[in-house]
Amino acid sequence: MTIRADIERMPGDELLRLARVLKVPIVVRTIKRSWLVDKVLKELEKRDAKIPIALESPAIQISSVTKNFGKKTAVRKLNLRVEPGEIVGLVGPNGAGKTTTLRMLTGIIRATSGSIQVDGYDIVDEAISAKERIGYIPEKPTCYPSLTAREYVMFTSRIYRVPHETALIRMREFVELFQFEEFIDTYIGTLSKGNLQRALLIGIFAREPPYILALDEPIYGLDPRGAWNLKKLLRRLRDEGSAVLISTHILEVAADLCDRFVIMNEADVVGHGTLEELQKLHPDTNSLEEIFLSLTGGIPE
Amino acid sequence: MSTFKLMKNEIRMLRNQFKSAITSPSMLLFYSVTFFGIFFVSSVISTFVSFAPLFFNFSVLLEETLDMGMIFAATAVLSASSVVSGYFGLGPAAVLTLEDESLMMSAPVKPHQIFLSRYARRILRKISFITIGVLAILPLLISASLLFFAAVSLLAIIIISLEINYFLGAMSSYVRLWISRKTQHRLRHLIVIALGAIALLPAHPWLLSNVSAIYVAPSNALALFLTESTGIFSQGIPPLYSIIFIMIGFMVCLLLTANICGYEYYELFSDNKGREQTEGRFSKIIRGEIDFSKSQFTDPMIWIMMKDFWSRLRSPMQIWKYIYAVVGTVFVLYLNIVKPIWFPPIIVPIGLAFAIVPAFILMMILFVQMGSVTSMLSFVDERDNIYLLKASPFNPRDIILSKYLLSLFEVAITVIPACGFLIYFIHIEGYLAVITLIAPLTILFTATGSAFGAYVPVMTNDPKTLPVPLALSFPIINLGLGAIMVLLVAIFSDSMLILVILPLFTLSLVYFFLALSLRALNTYK
Repeated sequence: MTIRADIERMPGDELLRLARVLKVPIVVRTIKRSWLVDKVLKELEKRDAKIPIALESPAIQISSVTKNFGKKTAVRKLNLRVEPGEIVGLVGPNGAGKTTTLRMLTGIIRATSGSIQVDGYDIVDEAISAKERIGYIPEKPTCYPSLTAREYVMFTSRIYRVPHETALIRMREFVELFQFEEFIDTYIGTLSKGNLQRALLIGIFAREPPYILALDEPIYGLDPRGAWNLKKLLRRLRDEGSAVLISTHILEVAADLCDRFVIMNEADVVGHGTLEELQKLHPDTNSLEEIFLSLTGGIPE
Repeated sequence: MSTFKLMKNEIRMLRNQFKSAITSPSMLLFYSVTFFGIFFVSSVISTFVSFAPLFFNFSVLLEETLDMGMIFAATAVLSASSVVSGYFGLGPAAVLTLEDESLMMSAPVKPHQIFLSRYARRILRKISFITIGVLAILPLLISASLLFFAAVSLLAIIIISLEINYFLGAMSSYVRLWISRKTQHRLRHLIVIALGAIALLPAHPWLLSNVSAIYVAPSNALALFLTESTGIFSQGIPPLYSIIFIMIGFMVCLLLTANICGYEYYELFSDNKGREQTEGRFSKIIRGEIDFSKSQFTDPMIWIMMKDFWSRLRSPMQIWKYIYAVVGTVFVLYLNIVKPIWFPPIIVPIGLAFAIVPAFILMMILFVQMGSVTSMLSFVDERDNIYLLKASPFNPRDIILSKYLLSLFEVAITVIPACGFLIYFIHIEGYLAVITLIAPLTILFTATGSAFGAYVPVMTNDPKTLPVPLALSFPIINLGLGAIMVLLVAIFSDSMLILVILPLFTLSLVYFFLALSLRALNTYK
């Protein structure tokens, strides 16, 4: 039903493109939209139903990871696991080592010691397999300014080997969800920060679930509706078996969204667990904010 | 993921850039100014001077002045300098961008695929620029009786050879990474001397006269192409051989560079990006503990200038500019006063004497133009802070004037040593009258630079990146203005009117360009 709704919402040129990708025979000059929608749906049904892939457990395994930049230690002996069907919040003040952790997790930089596995693949020894399974939103979102948002989504789906028809259908679904229709053919260089963030998110979600996501301040720049949509989507993905690691210092977002928390301060993990577990350990606190403050220098008077 | 798909994406981006350039009137205007400006200048020059006899005599003159070994040595020195500078450079990581860091480094693609796709784009861009450049100077080529094909092939081979040097530098950087993995001994960097020596080796006279295979070395192949295609010191070897050697060298070096591209270059890129944001150790020492926030000045213009001066000084390269200005000025003063016999000026061959004054003036304009590039960056260096500056309670005129005056100082200290060298090396009669033009040229070019820089945020959403057409048309417009100034001086040189006309011309144009800057600042998106 969802696919039908997405296909019915497609503009004419997008629908025609999908029909061409699916090799629907079009021999007449004028065709009815409803006829084409039915043909496309039939063609999609003919394709082999894919067996949903389940993620390895744990989906993310960070074992004893240390990262040094010269004499400075950015992350020290970090251990972290994210299971499928879980959203873990990596929280901490500026400079705690959150972004460095995500950059190591996604293979942008290498750990000085320790190991990182994504869906069972080592990020150093099996980099391509590990990277194929992870989706990353950086802290400061950037993208190729000379591509249109549509070109970017199609390009990224090719990089991640998403079948063309799947990418087209999923792009439509998320364009609608993030209310991005008017910007889809706009050059990325002219997009606002919030819309750039939306384009990057559509690029990730054009891939097939379940996902392993490493999101660095994903709410950054999104308007309240966009933020609400994203949070709802992440909860849905979690329920469907995706694993999500979110780095943020917006504690309302973390408290609202995450199942577990890892609190970092000055390269070290200073606390971890569910909100209830953390509150048990710090009985004089009433919220995640107070737990966070007491673990990272004390609650100010 | 095939490399081909990545290349296709790079080409798509290039096509989109082109499409966007030709559909935005301002970009199209600047591209047209560049193309037709060069075409016009080359047409005018070719009507005044016929270069054919000059080129005819040139090879004879060069054979009298140089010896063949010097050409081979020069190309080998070029390769060696690439190897040495490449050793301390980023190597293949230099092609990576912030966008790659966000998107491609975490994507399931291999580093060599990113490198090859980015390189394909670089080559395509170069090919387009060469083609447009050669078309623009067509009148000069015709005047020099040079065949279009010969000129294009000469340019192409020189550029391919420079690309080979770029690859040699990239491989040299790999040696640094490799050796740093093996040892942290301080003396490990001495290896760069050995690498430089290896690059120089093919130009050794004994090898050149006894080992025929040494001509396969890229630097020798380029020298061989230059000698055989121009006829200077020709040994009767068809230039096709050297083209084949160069193409083989290019392919081998390209594949070797792609082969050394590994994940360690991601690390190198991130590390370098982090370093850009921190102060250079040396500049910290020079700067000491100066805190400009304690300044006694109350004028907002002085504040902006001080902010720019100190924030620029905190970037690692800037300090070298000031060192160059001081050391260079002292050195040119020494040269011009003492005239040391160990560093003699160029003796111009009699056959070329007729061209020496125009050459001097042209070089003078070019030197001032090169120095004035800083002024174009005065707004670009602000990056996104330009909007903060615009929103701050400063009078826009103060912002423009402060940017202009600081740029004028920086351009002047760059231009002084360069022109000092020019005066020493190319001694022309009556040079004192000619060099007085340096001052109005500097004042004018700095104003055009400020105006160009101020227009960047008007033309693009990315105020830290200078659009290509703007960067290309800047020297053309300056050369044009310089030529008009020289023409005015030539026409009125015998009249006292020049004392009025020259300042009037300079100041009115400076006012015009500063007014344009102000207009740009008031129309930021």
